Amino acid sequence: MIDGTTQGTTQEADQTAGCRTRFAGLLAPGLAADRLTRLALALRLSPVQAPAGPAPLAVLLAGDGSAVPESDALWLPPVAAWIEPPTDTGASDTADRLAPFLAEAATSDLYLNLTTATAHDLQLGGRLLAALSARHPLEGDRRDDVELALHEAVSNALVHGNLGVAGMKELSAQELERFSRDLGDRLADPVLAGRRIVVTLRIDPAEDGRRVATVEIADEGAGFTPGPRANSGASGRGLDLIGTIADGLTIEDGGRRIRMRFRL
Amino acid sequence: MDYGIEVRDQEAVIRLRGRLTFNDHAKLRALIGEMGQNKLKRQVLDLSSLEFVDSAGIGMLLIAREEMDRAAKQFILRGAAGQVKRVLTVAQIAKIVPIED
Repeated sequence: MIDGTTQGTTQEADQTAGCRTRFAGLLAPGLAADRLTRLALALRLSPVQAPAGPAPLAVLLAGDGSAVPESDALWLPPVAAWIEPPTDTGASDTADRLAPFLAEAATSDLYLNLTTATAHDLQLGGRLLAALSARHPLEGDRRDDVELALHEAVSNALVHGNLGVAGMKELSAQELERFSRDLGDRLADPVLAGRRIVVTLRIDPAEDGRRVATVEIADEGAGFTPGPRANSGASGRGLDLIGTIADGLTIEDGGRRIRMRFRL
Repeated sequence: MDYGIEVRDQEAVIRLRGRLTFNDHAKLRALIGEMGQNKLKRQVLDLSSLEFVDSAGIGMLLIAREEMDRAAKQFILRGAAGQVKRVLTVAQIAKIVPIED
């Protein structure tokens, strides 16, 4: 296998932000074998048909929904990155467009970069939890809580961030209908549905010998100003729940990025 | 999330199954409509087969409760376990909606 750490994009990452993940191979469910081979070699990676072995792999997810991996194996080690390639480019420069994504992925332990349209249909909170707990077992209530926090942060980024749908304020069926309609309309807008959600997860040793996971979730929406929330409506509990569960919570970039820390 | 409604003598029991999240808005709208249409005064949501609920799911349950209030019907949550029970507790939903074991 070609070792991606000594050449190309991962080498740049080694020198800049610090390489954590040295990708060895590339999977692309639904992509023809010859195209995968060309793409992988252009990125100095080995084309891989199915997850195997210890070396980290990156998975390309097609945006048309045809290749969304239902298989749990594609969300577990050694897969450490899930990337939806940009669709507005020809096949020839897909590798050039993917290289920065892979370089960014190399600086994390887990990395995910998807359009809103694709991410909306996946249970990303549960997928991220599975990927995390495969690296550090989480059990019982803590497992449930971390899944909820991840799910809430992803949902906020997609629904309120990228799609700009306002939360349900009044407790009424009309407000639920409005939420439903807005969500459908915005998902049908190719510009909003094409906005990206980027998740990075890093696991580090904490001072007390335990480990801590730092998860950052970024969106491309208008952001928001954190402030006191009214708890009387149907929406607005998500961030409070995250704050209760996480051991650290920071809102950055005008509300477009949330950073959560979980002691493991 | 899926649901089934069983109309009994004194109450309608609606059993929710799977995961209740923001993505279930259309099903919740249908469910609220069905709860409004049956004649029974007591509408019980059986949560014992529900595996996961998020904050939007809680919000939608509160909307259902409000709509039943408007229709002069009782709305009760029953049988929550695991993650669902935990979130209902943390969000202090028992202050707003009757919860039965």
